[in-house]
Amino acid sequence: MASPMWFEIFRQLFDRPFTNPFPVKYAPKNMHAVAKAIEEGKVRINPPVPVPDNFRGKIEYDREACIGCRMCIKVCPANAIEFVPPPDGGPKGGKVKFYMSRCTFCELCTEICPKHCIRMSTEFLMADTNKYSDNLVITDSGRFAEQPPPQAPPKPASPPDAGQQPASGE
Amino acid sequence: MSKCSYTLPIGPVHPALKEPTMFKFVMDGEIVKEVDVQPGVNHRGIEFIGMRRNPLQVLHLAERICGICSIVHQYAFTMASEKAAGINDIPERAQYIRTIMAELERIHSHVLWAGVAAHELGFDTLLHWTWKLREDVQDVLEYISGNRVNYAMYYQGGVRRDISPEKIPRIKEMISAYRREFQKLADAFLEDPLFKHRTVNVGVLTKKDALETSAVGPTTRGSGVPKDVRVDQPYGGYADLDLKPCLPEQMGYPNTGDTYAKTVVRILEVGQSLDIIEFCLDNMPPGPIRWEMNVNKVLMHMKKAGGEAIGMTEAPRGEMIHYVRLDPGDENVSAWKVRASTYNNIIAWQKMLVGAQIADVAIVAASIDPCIGCMDRVTVVDGETGKEGVMTKEDFYRLSVRKTRRLRRMKGKPSGGGW
Amino acid sequence: MMDINDLYVRMLLGVLAMLAAVVVGLAYKGIDRKIAAHMQSRIGPPLRQPFRDISKLMQKETITPDGAVDWIFHGMPVIGLVAALLLVLYIPWGPLSPPLKAHGDLILVLYLLIIPSLAMALGGFSSGSPVAAIGAQREMVMMMSYEFPLAIVILSLAWFYTRVLPGSAPFAFTTMEAAPIWGLVGPIGFIGAVLLLLSLVVVTPSELSKIPFDAPEAETELGGGLMAEYSGRDLAMFYIADAVKGLVMAAIIVGLFFPHPLSPIVEKYYALPLIMDQPVVAWIIDGLFFLFKVFLVLFATVTTVRVAFPRLKIDKISYIYLVPVSLMALAGTLLLYLDTLGGV
Ligand code: SF4
Ligand code: SF4
Repeated sequence: MASPMWFEIFRQLFDRPFTNPFPVKYAPKNMHAVAKAIEEGKVRINPPVPVPDNFRGKIEYDREACIGCRMCIKVCPANAIEFVPPPDGGPKGGKVKFYMSRCTFCELCTEICPKHCIRMSTEFLMADTNKYSDNLVITDSGRFAEQPPPQAPPKPASPPDAGQQPASGE
Repeated sequence: MSKCSYTLPIGPVHPALKEPTMFKFVMDGEIVKEVDVQPGVNHRGIEFIGMRRNPLQVLHLAERICGICSIVHQYAFTMASEKAAGINDIPERAQYIRTIMAELERIHSHVLWAGVAAHELGFDTLLHWTWKLREDVQDVLEYISGNRVNYAMYYQGGVRRDISPEKIPRIKEMISAYRREFQKLADAFLEDPLFKHRTVNVGVLTKKDALETSAVGPTTRGSGVPKDVRVDQPYGGYADLDLKPCLPEQMGYPNTGDTYAKTVVRILEVGQSLDIIEFCLDNMPPGPIRWEMNVNKVLMHMKKAGGEAIGMTEAPRGEMIHYVRLDPGDENVSAWKVRASTYNNIIAWQKMLVGAQIADVAIVAASIDPCIGCMDRVTVVDGETGKEGVMTKEDFYRLSVRKTRRLRRMKGKPSGGGW
Repeated sequence: MMDINDLYVRMLLGVLAMLAAVVVGLAYKGIDRKIAAHMQSRIGPPLRQPFRDISKLMQKETITPDGAVDWIFHGMPVIGLVAALLLVLYIPWGPLSPPLKAHGDLILVLYLLIIPSLAMALGGFSSGSPVAAIGAQREMVMMMSYEFPLAIVILSLAWFYTRVLPGSAPFAFTTMEAAPIWGLVGPIGFIGAVLLLLSLVVVTPSELSKIPFDAPEAETELGGGLMAEYSGRDLAMFYIADAVKGLVMAAIIVGLFFPHPLSPIVEKYYALPLIMDQPVVAWIIDGLFFLFKVFLVLFATVTTVRVAFPRLKIDKISYIYLVPVSLMALAGTLLLYLDTLGGV
């Protein structure tokens, strides 16, 4: 009746658990309160597993460089991009807006944009109670540098700016 | 129905079912006498959504038909739309990368299945252990494509991301890690006396039944039917490989078609996938990864092109077919039909479940690795009365004529004349 | 006739023991979950999770399904909990002798042990759900199977004590405490006693409906089985009853086979007579040692077992108890008998 798992079981008993304890080891009683405390820097959280370089996370958009050609809208599978007509109502100068709550992170808009004014950051903490919150509707992330360095993209302001802080327990 | 039989519903939501579907069992004590499968509770109308999008957009929609075998849906759709649009010269390197991705996914899917099967038997330790093992291949998928679940790798005319030479060592490392763990995985399942007790001669699908119900994938291979799209109609990089369908007899186990045999097939296939990935990595030809680098040009080409085609892939669960029709001048996909492998396999459920014990239902149902999200394409509900019903052939004919007319109107085309 | 003061003291003691048993039982549940999680390479819930579960369940609505027999459905959790708590009064708790030791012995314990399972089965039947009915049927089948080896173990132990210690009360835990079985047997009897212990160990997980013997609840088959329709306070009561029963089963094994106290050893080898003069210190040492023994028993019979095995089918469970385990218990009895023949 011996099972090959038995040895494994007792080995695992003394191993470190495999579970990734991000963001905190045990589920807190009130996640909102914890999120707020993290925001204020009162609670330190376990760092997430690092994402790969080509991770497709929250979109960054260089509004100034955009020419309003609507190519991104045409390919977006999720209809996550909205066209913002120019304030003067003219034919030129329209911009776009990204709704992260709909985005499927396919990177098509990034690829097709003729002005390279969209790129995908490594930010993935986007849970929110309101899908139209400022965190999730991207209208402008500022100018991209001419040659955007592959690493360290400027992070948009976002509340639980997790990954940056050292590890600790609950 | 004998006097002492009773009906036991399982579903639509039940811990044994990872996705909603509905079973009705007529039971006699612990023994199943009759089975009625009533799918249709997970219908999302994906094909209709797809018909309002261009092929490039549908790629990413197809990927989301299923959360586990997402790549094969994308693969089948890519192939179908490429054929329909007449894109034929897909670079060989891209073909190889497609193959590697599909096989990585097969590993992750089979290991995931093994865990689920263990969970259905109440063996959660094995579940957690196999899923821990699965992290490795998930990490590699993330490493190659950027994300863990939906990879967004395929694309009409090639792939979107290259596997550059500096990425290969990491993948090779994963392969050797799995080769090391492989025996342990096989032993943990196949040598466990209680796993044997719960799976041998449980949920038997005889070869005859497998052929009659036209089951696909490991479900049918467990019964000894050597059916595998990768072998029968090779696509992508598979044509360069000398593949054989995995049958339980290769591990010295008879092709009985029981749940144990299906487990053997899946475990063998994990090994086979490792070999395929290694072969593809070693023999990956240099060259471009896309037929056309400019996304816009691809889009324009597909707008102009017209035609219909079928794309077939061997999903981890079996043969999968996508039918695509493109009309010239129409940007969007004119028709899209998905036939996932589970659709074939649930018919085999009936053969496997009758005579089983209620305790076996969970593992037998899981033995075909059902993916209801893939399968549920139709549900029939009477809008007025809210009643659900069964459709006959005539109903279907009437409905299809009606739908065709409606689609034509939608597309602004005159009705009449052949499609 | 008991004098009235004594009665009050006993009642107070009994209530305290019950409360303590609930707390300790839930704590062991937390430990069990934590250790099982680590064996599965998980972090697992915090140790206080069972207490949180209870407080959460207490706040939840208690639903009565359509077609349930109301009074049975809501009555059974109470009966199950009361029976489990009554058990506490007849079991020795390490240095504490059973609060009601003069009023009941092993036979009563055997009967009381059946009641929570029976209550669960009746509750399942009365809920009107086919899933719960199947679970209840399985529970009955399982009970009929494991009670047999359980009865054999207890009866043979009692018989053995009447044989070697004529005149002692064979069904009282105090007898075993005064003379643990290991000191009374020869080599053959030792093997017999080990076999009896093993049988009891195999019975424990199914007495507690734990994997691999959790067919009545079978989450992936029956979705909770006989518990399927229970919610809120009713479920909490069954949950507590289960925790207490776990503790009681472990205490029975300890009481029958390992009643040894630790304080005499400490006294002897560490020469601490000064401290040992204080009965309180000895009492604390023995109490902790008892808790440790209970933990070991639970670890061996519940935690590791439920982690190391898949769920068994009900026919297999029945077979296991009725044939191999019963035979094992009978063999143990036979060996004990042979031992008494040789010893006398
Ligand atoms: S494709 Fe680029 S330039 Fe064109 S509208 Fe979108 S963001 Fe602006
Ligand atoms: S990443 Fe994809 S889904 Fe998201 S906005 Fe861009 S095109 Fe749309």
